[in-house]
Amino acid sequence: MEMDKLGVLTSFIHNIVVFNIPLLYGTVGEIVVEKSGSLNLGVEGIMAVGAIFGYICGCYANSLGVGIAVAFMAGALCGLLFAALTVSLQANQNITGLTLTTFGLGVYFFVGNGLKATGWPAMGDYANIKNGFADVAIPVLSDIPLIGHGLFNHNVLVYLGIVIAIAMWWYLNRTTPGLKLRAVGENPGAADSVGINVKRMKYLHICLGCGIMGIGGYYMGLNMSGSFNSSCWINGYGWIAVALVIFANWNPALAIAGTFVFGFFNTLRVSGSSLAMAFPEALGWLAAVPTQLYQALPFVITAIVLVASSVRSKQGSGLPASLGVNYFREER
Amino acid sequence: MGFHIVKRDNCPIWKKCCFYLAAVVIALLLGALLLVSLGVDPIAYYTRMFTMGTIGNKIAYKVYINYLKEFVPLALTSVALSLAFKMRFWNIGGEGQFILGAIAAAFVAFQAGPVLPNGVTLLLMCLAAMVTAGLYGLFVAALKVRFGTNETLMTLMLNYVALYILIFIGETKAEWNFFLDEASVRPVFASFSKIVSFPTIPMGGKFSLNICVILTVLLGVLVFIYLKYTKHGYEIAVVGDSAGTARYAGMKVNAIVLRTVFLSAALIGLAAAFKVGTAGILSTSITDDVGWTGIIVAWLSQLNTVVIFVVSALICVLHYGSTVAAATFSQVDSSFANMLQGVILFLVLAADFYTRFRVVPFKKGGKDNGNG
Amino acid sequence: MAQQYAIELKGITKTFGSVVANKNVELNVKPGEILALLGENGSGKTTLMNMLSGIYKPDSGQIFVDGKQVSIDSPEDAKKLGIGMVHQHFKLVDVFSAADNIWMGKEKAGLTLKKDRYAQIEAMAKKFGFEIDPRKKVYNMSVSEKQTLEIIKVLYYGARIIILDEPTAVLTVQEIDKLFRVLRRMKDEGHSIIIITHKLNEVMDISDRVAILRKGEYITTVDTADTNEQALTEWMVGHKVDLNIDRPTMDKTRPLLELRDVSIRNDEGAVAISDVNFYIRGGEILGVAGIAGCGQKELCEAIAGLRPIEKGQMIHKGDNIVGLSPRAILEKGISMSFIPEDRLGMGLAPSMSITDNMILKKYAETRGPFVNRKIGRTDAEEVIRDLEVVTPSADTPVRRLSGGNVQKVLLGREIKAGPNVIITAYPVRGLDINSSYTIYNILNEQKLSGVGVLFVGEDLDVMIALCDKIMVLCHGKVMGVVHAHKTTKEELGLMMTGALDLTNKYEDKPAGIARDTRFGEQNEGEEA
Repeated sequence: MEMDKLGVLTSFIHNIVVFNIPLLYGTVGEIVVEKSGSLNLGVEGIMAVGAIFGYICGCYANSLGVGIAVAFMAGALCGLLFAALTVSLQANQNITGLTLTTFGLGVYFFVGNGLKATGWPAMGDYANIKNGFADVAIPVLSDIPLIGHGLFNHNVLVYLGIVIAIAMWWYLNRTTPGLKLRAVGENPGAADSVGINVKRMKYLHICLGCGIMGIGGYYMGLNMSGSFNSSCWINGYGWIAVALVIFANWNPALAIAGTFVFGFFNTLRVSGSSLAMAFPEALGWLAAVPTQLYQALPFVITAIVLVASSVRSKQGSGLPASLGVNYFREER
Repeated sequence: MGFHIVKRDNCPIWKKCCFYLAAVVIALLLGALLLVSLGVDPIAYYTRMFTMGTIGNKIAYKVYINYLKEFVPLALTSVALSLAFKMRFWNIGGEGQFILGAIAAAFVAFQAGPVLPNGVTLLLMCLAAMVTAGLYGLFVAALKVRFGTNETLMTLMLNYVALYILIFIGETKAEWNFFLDEASVRPVFASFSKIVSFPTIPMGGKFSLNICVILTVLLGVLVFIYLKYTKHGYEIAVVGDSAGTARYAGMKVNAIVLRTVFLSAALIGLAAAFKVGTAGILSTSITDDVGWTGIIVAWLSQLNTVVIFVVSALICVLHYGSTVAAATFSQVDSSFANMLQGVILFLVLAADFYTRFRVVPFKKGGKDNGNG
Repeated sequence: MAQQYAIELKGITKTFGSVVANKNVELNVKPGEILALLGENGSGKTTLMNMLSGIYKPDSGQIFVDGKQVSIDSPEDAKKLGIGMVHQHFKLVDVFSAADNIWMGKEKAGLTLKKDRYAQIEAMAKKFGFEIDPRKKVYNMSVSEKQTLEIIKVLYYGARIIILDEPTAVLTVQEIDKLFRVLRRMKDEGHSIIIITHKLNEVMDISDRVAILRKGEYITTVDTADTNEQALTEWMVGHKVDLNIDRPTMDKTRPLLELRDVSIRNDEGAVAISDVNFYIRGGEILGVAGIAGCGQKELCEAIAGLRPIEKGQMIHKGDNIVGLSPRAILEKGISMSFIPEDRLGMGLAPSMSITDNMILKKYAETRGPFVNRKIGRTDAEEVIRDLEVVTPSADTPVRRLSGGNVQKVLLGREIKAGPNVIITAYPVRGLDINSSYTIYNILNEQKLSGVGVLFVGEDLDVMIALCDKIMVLCHGKVMGVVHAHKTTKEELGLMMTGALDLTNKYEDKPAGIARDTRFGEQNEGEEA
């Protein structure tokens, strides 16, 4: 009985990671985009496009690596579209992002429903994908009781997501290109005047960030075992990622912690009842909490963070000063 | 060769129209290419889509009725959003405001419907929806005015808070929850269409016009007048153009922002009341994404009330028509509409660039810069 | 073979829409010299330099660097060519440290950010004779610290041609000396320096040659040693025109608007106006002279109620108006027409029509919920006719008018409101002679009808001819109030630079305080 309880806890922790790492991809990708000064509200659509193309190409090639690469490229192409419209053609970022969401979901369903009619690739038929997405235990660490299995026994995309987040943190804060990128997002006029190629920086990082989002979408598809039905794989994760960017104060390392916080509520929604059953005295009340509360909490918390950071002085905030404003050099 | 971008002083309207029209035509051609690759005759498909299958249809009146049911909330929401946008207040919280408005309207329908006369209930539904949605918008405006909180991100968050409130109501079986159907074991929304519903006016034949359509057109005219001819409308325009100038002219900028955002959100609430009062039932997808689509419509119409009506009508044709066409052409999924809408918008956004800027080519090396 | 220039501009023309900013400009700089670029505000100096720094692209003309024709398409190109510019509005990232603001533009800075960059930047700054704290964030810096950082930045990038846009406007005298020492040393090391300014004493002090622009057109370039301030002024403002401006005399009335010991802060929180006293009578024009950025803008905004008054009193016809809302001040009949640098920032809604802009201040006066555009249209048509505004129609957005016409619309509206005090700043900036005279006539008409006018101006000749009295500001302090018919340009110039202080000229009467003041009448209410 005691072991069973431990098992519930362990799988709870495991689930926090498994189900919510796509949020990390979306968030880190959006942080990279926003640090260049662009507010991209198309995360949901970009993740969907990355998901569908990554999944299909990955299956046809029977290679997880191909899937990841294609998902990245599909996302990056969406980014290229966004950059072309907002950076070169000075289009409104909000409108472009929202349109990208509509368009991306349209592409997702169009391709998915179209393929479903002719023959949908089932994940089970592709051993390399199935096995590639299987959990890989990290030696020693995964043997730690309770948290070992929960934190250190996951599929490679989980590890990749964490690595990308840490790498992006390092890139933004500890490298010269990162410094230049932040300069572009804060004050493109200043960046321009010292010879930083503002357009190139924006294009590159919008594409990079959107590519990362695309991988996150691919993860969602794999995690659903590739079963395609009427509700989209992404299912609102893209929007939560936009919220998480604010919660993480535009810091990719904090985004990991933020993913765990948001993921905690998300997982409570799914596994709250099993926790309540395992610990009737301590956690029995969990069964009575409506699941929608857990779903709404990330947004409520983010809203509070948003207000709190606007009340505080701006100096501690990671919000790029020129976020959402297009740069036109000859503006007078 | 390089390119150099210069701001345009002025772009004549005919030129603008040509640019936009070209964008739409190119988008349709791209869509046609896709259709051809799927083995579908694009002309047949587009014909079916743009006529919404009314040609040779014995029950075409039903198509019109259903089409108007989509049109009313979208047009009214877009008009409402244009109020805030005119002031450069990025209210992207249409979804959330719509949802809360819908809940408030349904609340009144269930509570007051059985006791009060139909007309009074409908009036109360509208009022409740307007106040609830209005306050939801006002909350964000107050934070913006007081602390400078980013309204885009804030309204975005509140959309989801509202959505989960609605889902909570829709999925929670409980004693207090009168929104749900008592007869059903599974949680499903109860219908109140038997209790109260917006009246329709017979127009001869089987077609009857819902009063909401007339009210929406009327409100469109009122908002047009409000923005164009009233002092309030004038203030909104000045604040949107230059807040510094508005202050200098002695306007109370903060009060104007609060008032306008409240009005904008309240009208979205009213759109929700129309929708709920016509459908006679709540649903977790009650908004039909009008909060999102409305933003695009309002922006696309450059906040011109008349154009908003035209664009809403066209977008509804696109949406409704593609569903109809999907039934005939099974190879083409109904999501084709979303894709097509996306492509149209991308190209219109690109066309918009050419109405605001001119591209001047020059030779690298500057050997030939005009004067020579 | 002609002399090899470090930079040579030939036939440069740049237009913004219908506005011609530079017309066929010629300019050259030799290696190892300091060239002063002289001209009035709006004469196109900054635009011209922005074309060298890659911000703007000329419509036509050629640029040569070291004798080779080049195309400067971006600031990156400019940097590669060794051209660096210190902009008047600092181009700094607020949340970065001083070192990072420099580091972000460094080529081949390596992939990783190392801690030793702070020491490197500090050492380099010391080499050029500057003390900076490399870890200090820009948002914690004073204005002069920011400017120092900008200069260090350009030097660090190894610019051989350095452009400084009005660098001394925000510096103290000691800092200016220090800056000039640095510039001279740079010159000795072979750098070419272009300094934009309109302070003649600095031009004479620092430059080797002077190039003069007037209204976007190139006038001439002269050796500083062969010229004097008088000649430069004439080139700058044009041939000595006989300023035949009337100065009708009026019977004086008691003071309409009085300011006593008023202090005002600017946007950065520094003191912009300190302990200022002055008064305006009905039927007189009081000129305000001073170097640009000496608190004129803040003073105007404070009188209009747009900027809080830190300390002191402001009374209008005996009523204290400190702390009143802009609308309340408007209703007292105090009108402000401020022409800011960008011409459209304040006072006009640029995308709205002339008609709509006419009713900006009085749309609320009519009854009912509707705006009465008939009044606006009548006003607009009258202003267009009386002031000869060039516009397709009264429905044209103000944004599409040329600068001079925008100013006429603005001033025209203010006068239509029938004020008793008019505050007007730079109302003739960028206007041709005829339009300028139209504006002077309007102001004189207002004066004759008993209105008190505060005229913030730039052209001393005009002020001497038009104003009754002239108050001179220097760094936010009043240097004295003089009678226009008794003073000279030289005297005013000395006061503007702070070399002459006339505040204690008359022992029995402190400057700026009227003998028949209405202070102390606050409780008696408004007179008829």
